[in-house]
Amino acid sequence: MLNVDNVTARYGEAQVLQGVSLGVDTGEVVTLVGRNGAGKTTLLRCLMGLHRAMTGDIEFDGRSVATLPPHKRCRIGLGYVPDDRGIFASLSVEENLTLPPVTGPEAWSLEQVYETFPVLAERRRQAGTHLSGGEQQMLAIARVLRMGARILLADEPTEGLAPLLVQQIGEIIRTVKAHGVTVLLIEQNVHFASTVADRHYLIAQGRVVESLDNAEVEQREHELLEYLGI
Amino acid sequence: MATKLKKAGALTATLAMGAVIAGCAGGGPESEGGKITDDAIKLGVITDLSSVYSELAGPNAVEAVKMAVEDFKAEHGDDAVTQNIEVTEADHQNKPEIANTTAREMYDRDGVDAIFDVPTSSAALAVANIAKQNQKMYFNIGAATTELTGAQCNPYTYHYAYNTHMLAHGTGKTVTEQGSKSWYIIYPDYAFGQDMNKSFTEAIKESGGNVVKADATPFPNDNFATFMTKAPTLTPKPDVLGTMQAGDDLVNVVNQYNEFGLQDKGINLAVGLMFDTDIASIGVKKLEGTLYTTPWFWNLDDRSREWADRFKQRTGTRPTFDHAANYSATMQYLEAVQRTGTDDADAIRKELDGHSFDDFFARNAQFRAADHAVTHDAYLAKLAKVKKESEVKEDFDFTKAVKKIPAEEAYMDAADSGCDMG
Amino acid sequence: MSGLLQQLFNGLVSGSFYALLALGLSVIFGMLGVVNFAHGAFYMLGAFGAFVLLDSAGLNWWLALLVVPILLGVIGMVLERAFVHRLMHLFPLYNFLLTFGIALILQDLIRLKYGVTSQPYPRPTILDGMVDLGVFTYPKYQVFVLVLSIVLSVLVWLVLTRTRVGMIVRASTERAELTQSLGIDVRRWVTPVFGFGIALAGLAGVLAAPMRAVNSEMGADLIIVIFAVVVIGGLGSVVGSVAAGYIVGMLTEFGNFYIPALSQILVFVLMALVLLLRPAGLFGREEGSPA
Repeated sequence: MLNVDNVTARYGEAQVLQGVSLGVDTGEVVTLVGRNGAGKTTLLRCLMGLHRAMTGDIEFDGRSVATLPPHKRCRIGLGYVPDDRGIFASLSVEENLTLPPVTGPEAWSLEQVYETFPVLAERRRQAGTHLSGGEQQMLAIARVLRMGARILLADEPTEGLAPLLVQQIGEIIRTVKAHGVTVLLIEQNVHFASTVADRHYLIAQGRVVESLDNAEVEQREHELLEYLGI
Repeated sequence: MATKLKKAGALTATLAMGAVIAGCAGGGPESEGGKITDDAIKLGVITDLSSVYSELAGPNAVEAVKMAVEDFKAEHGDDAVTQNIEVTEADHQNKPEIANTTAREMYDRDGVDAIFDVPTSSAALAVANIAKQNQKMYFNIGAATTELTGAQCNPYTYHYAYNTHMLAHGTGKTVTEQGSKSWYIIYPDYAFGQDMNKSFTEAIKESGGNVVKADATPFPNDNFATFMTKAPTLTPKPDVLGTMQAGDDLVNVVNQYNEFGLQDKGINLAVGLMFDTDIASIGVKKLEGTLYTTPWFWNLDDRSREWADRFKQRTGTRPTFDHAANYSATMQYLEAVQRTGTDDADAIRKELDGHSFDDFFARNAQFRAADHAVTHDAYLAKLAKVKKESEVKEDFDFTKAVKKIPAEEAYMDAADSGCDMG
Repeated sequence: MSGLLQQLFNGLVSGSFYALLALGLSVIFGMLGVVNFAHGAFYMLGAFGAFVLLDSAGLNWWLALLVVPILLGVIGMVLERAFVHRLMHLFPLYNFLLTFGIALILQDLIRLKYGVTSQPYPRPTILDGMVDLGVFTYPKYQVFVLVLSIVLSVLVWLVLTRTRVGMIVRASTERAELTQSLGIDVRRWVTPVFGFGIALAGLAGVLAAPMRAVNSEMGADLIIVIFAVVVIGGLGSVVGSVAAGYIVGMLTEFGNFYIPALSQILVFVLMALVLLLRPAGLFGREEGSPA
């Protein structure tokens, strides 16, 4: 469904992505694991069109999207959750949900969102940023579901959350998957990654260094943790 | 486009003049060699060529000086002390430091014999100081401060046209004597405004009136609502609001005086200083019946009209009193050079001191020796009542003189001026 | 007491101009990240537009009130497409310099054509005279200005808070890039928003024509105060800029009343205090507000 072929990108003088290639199949949950500064966030921004890829190609559904502006990528089914969750303070919870256009036939209705996430219903009139961190994450993912996006690109949704909330995010991602949405997420928490994802890419210095399945992750958890410096 | 044409015209005129001079050089009348330095009389006009005063003074003040030069040359023909008279101009943007440098350059580098105009009091005083140091002639026209003929007077500086004393003793005195005894004065918070406030307060008290309150207002300012709402609440309620604002600030004051209906509340308006350009900006209708003091206006009488017609032919507009005074002062200076046969400043000032004259601008006029005020009659003027602005058929055709203020009243006694020529 | 009330009213009227101008400036800044230095020049053009329409075409003030803002709005959109847009991806200083240059050019063009002295503009006859407000009487025209500017501010607020367009503007004002990644073509909204801000400035200019001196410099002094207003209200905050407009209006008015000599400094004192105590402005949000 999503094919990344030899993508490079720079931040000023520094080459952050040195030729990343990876693929995600329909219905899969895939994580990008790697140290801070490995280029994971930049990769996600390149996929979304927020950062310019110097070379390489990005295909979505067999079609190259590398030259499309961000709003068009969104409209063909890419749903983005940035690393700071991307909740608007000047919009209410409900407005945060309804701001993006509906982009696919699988779009959730507001009722469906509120049924699944009752806390959002309770606080629908409040400013988006009045929610707690976990609730904001929930809102950000719910927003992608309401759009009817076909792939969720989430930048480290569990960052800074308490263990209980991390589990809750895991639940949500499983729900997302159950609704047929493909997921590509950045994760530093390898244990968590192995509980929600099907496959993993280990990223280092702007390259994919290894592709791992869940069994391998569990086997090599200590090694990976050490490598990630956690 | 128009400016381009004007510039082109000026250029042609200069070239033509140059050709005439070159032609004359061989067989011209024997000049009394050495008496005219550089064989030329050089006049410098320092004025505001680009900002707020550029219409009431500005390029047309330069034109007035040039017009005087041409008239002088035409009048004296071959008998003229010299046909070689140059006019240079400079923009001081109303800033004293620029006026200071420009005046220095004109006297020292360009060999200018006399400087004219210089609006804005602080700039005017700066140039007076340079004239004194360089011992060269200076005729101030555009500035209002009495300091020029008071504490900061000097032998080389004459003050033409008007000053704050004239404005105050014209308007302040008359309005008070006509029954508006209680005044509320608002004045802009800088030198000119403070000077006007002082002069008006004196004049009002001398005439048996009183100043209920005088408020300094921010400068510049486009909103005088505070003062308009305050006026009727003062005790005792003032009969008249005296505004010392000038230019755009004055436009705002009059607009808002009208809006707040102070006239209906029994508070009249008296304006400290008003140029024809201000009246045109405000619109006569909003000012109808307003009294103000002016040293001159173009529709005063036949002599004035005749000159104003010639001025209009040349510039396309009617003259302000600043333009007329620049012409008059230039003519007086050139005639003095003609009489003495030299452009030496000390000879000229001795010739001018005590000299009496009468021309289309200055009536009953005298170069007063004691303080170098050029005294003459002024006029208390009233703006015509009009139904519509369109009734004003011509530029600035809205002023009627209601009273002549004789020179002796318009100017303070030389003894009181505080001037010490040293 | 009625004296105080009247000063309050004066403050609201002068605040009306600040509010209208700050509102446009703020929306433009929020959406484009451009500090539009030419805002004062467009206010001036608004007043001149009214003058020219009356002088050359005999169009009265009411028509000018409608025509001039629309015309200037269109001019604003053209300027945005032609110039501002091209510099948007550069450091903000470039656009600041651009709009500064535009302001100077507009002022000088007007000065070249109409000179430095003010142009006369009559009040619309219906709004001549005073109206009795119970406690005191007040000029009809100024009451009209106040009511119109409050109505406009409320309308803008309703559009911003109750409509989809408003939601998009708020979102793009807060985070343009994020809004774009959520499927909204922010660039499409930038031009009309710029035009709208300019139109508001033009409208303020038309309102000013009958009560203020109409000349090429009239916006130049004002723009500095407007910048202060926007900073006090909070950059990019719509409610903030309107509220700060009225606050500053009242502040200068009471300043004029009690300490005329200092009244023009008061606004900058307030700005300094706000910057010290609440750097994001009275109604602004701190960067990266807490989760």
